[in-house]
Amino acid sequence: MITLSEGVLLDLLSVAILLLTFACLGSKLFDRYVAYYALQSIILSAAIALVAHHLGAWDLWALAVLTFLIKGIGIPVIARHYLIIRLELKRDVAISTGISTSLIIGAVLTAFAYFAINPSTLPSGLLATSPVPLSNAVVLLGGLCMVVRRNTVAQLIGWLIVENGVFLGAITLVATFPFIVEAGIFLDLVAGVLIMLTFVSGLAHRLATTDASELRELRE
Amino acid sequence: MSPVVLQILQSTVVLVFAPLYAGVLARAVAIVQSKHGPSILQPYHDLAKLLRKGSAISENASWIFRIAPFVALSSYLTVSTIVPIITDEPLPLAFLADLIGGAFVLSLAGFIIALAALDTASPLGGLGASRTTWIGSLAEPALILVFFTVAAVSRSDNPYFENHTIAGSITTYVLPTHLLGLVAFFMLVLAENGRIPIDNPSGSIEISMIEESRVLEYSGREYALIKWASWMKLFLLSAIFMNVFVIPWGLGHADTILGGLQGTLAVLAKLVICGTAIVIIDTSFAKLRLFRIAEFLGASFLFALIGIVTSYVVGGVGK
Repeated sequence: MITLSEGVLLDLLSVAILLLTFACLGSKLFDRYVAYYALQSIILSAAIALVAHHLGAWDLWALAVLTFLIKGIGIPVIARHYLIIRLELKRDVAISTGISTSLIIGAVLTAFAYFAINPSTLPSGLLATSPVPLSNAVVLLGGLCMVVRRNTVAQLIGWLIVENGVFLGAITLVATFPFIVEAGIFLDLVAGVLIMLTFVSGLAHRLATTDASELRELRE
Repeated sequence: MSPVVLQILQSTVVLVFAPLYAGVLARAVAIVQSKHGPSILQPYHDLAKLLRKGSAISENASWIFRIAPFVALSSYLTVSTIVPIITDEPLPLAFLADLIGGAFVLSLAGFIIALAALDTASPLGGLGASRTTWIGSLAEPALILVFFTVAAVSRSDNPYFENHTIAGSITTYVLPTHLLGLVAFFMLVLAENGRIPIDNPSGSIEISMIEESRVLEYSGREYALIKWASWMKLFLLSAIFMNVFVIPWGLGHADTILGGLQGTLAVLAKLVICGTAIVIIDTSFAKLRLFRIAEFLGASFLFALIGIVTSYVVGGVGK
């Protein structure tokens, strides 16, 4: 019997994050879409806490707490309250491909992400190597979410999934970022979400819809 | 001497306890739904009644219709000799096939029942055959990929190797490849047995039934064999799921008869756990619309595929 090492746990958490990305990609109901994103962020904060425990770094602990509070609770609650309930979003009908097709494309992208990054070329001494290609896959899948969905609220969350993927890669690869950089990224994120919230509300106010395809047409 | 006895004991366990497992599941589902439900021995009463009755066979039915119940039952008996049910060492007949060979024998049973359903040219039989074949064509690739996840973990597609590899170390047990294969296989167990997200096992509402409509033409002894075969399939797949994927511990050693008896108790206890999971799913989910079954099985395929690709970066036991 070998005890569980931190690397194995980090592998598991990253796979859970990837699966939740697929759940986001495959869910039609907005409620579930946001709930999966929230769960993904909470697991991400657990992964950060794991790295923090491994390195014994206080700033990573702070980052884990921030991730949990802002991404795990704050953003989903705000998105639910201000967007989903207020705009009465229930079922996302503005999907350009079928769910099955987008899942298959997602699987192909995941395979691509795995083969694009050869684990043996990564720097040695990492806690675990698998989160790097996994985070790459999460970034691509988040992008896919934004591409296949035309509703701006869904696209907003797709962008946040990309953000989560970047974070997952960052904490594994360059875990010893200066804290000021991480805090800066967080501030960026919050600002970005606020800007997009305003933008989406304005769009909904003016056009009575949040479908982005409306934006491509010229209006008199 | 004792391996031969154990071999017979293993197939007997499957034959004898399969109706009990189905009865316990039906009763548990009824209790969760606040009904009283049939006795857990009801499948045995059904079998006894049906086996005493004669059967009416359509004049237009060919020999395929007559042999199908026997082929199906013997296919499941064959599978019961080659997979780990009560012992963790291969029994004398286990050389017959590995997991992929076992899957071939399982699909032979499904194939012959689908042929028999088409044979009498009854419209519902044709409907059921078409639907089960469609579901099978989606489940089969996922099943093969699940076997590949097994192979990625244990470097072999032999269920006994997998059992030993996983039982040997907790690190192997929590490999993402193994856990994803586990989830994918559970979804397939539900699909293959016509449990709730795919098909309603207790319902015979004509428009929505899948599994049951294939065997509507059967009566009497043949119907008893068909029912028995489907209960054995549920028992076998649940036992493989528990023994190879979820709880690889507690199986008896192949050299003593006492080990076999202990393994029998262990597998029954494990089936209680698996049955609980199935009952929870049966009572808390609705049946999927027919065309969403493709998404359900696609998800299973996806889990297995990600599991295999993950084995390239995380590695199997060799790492």
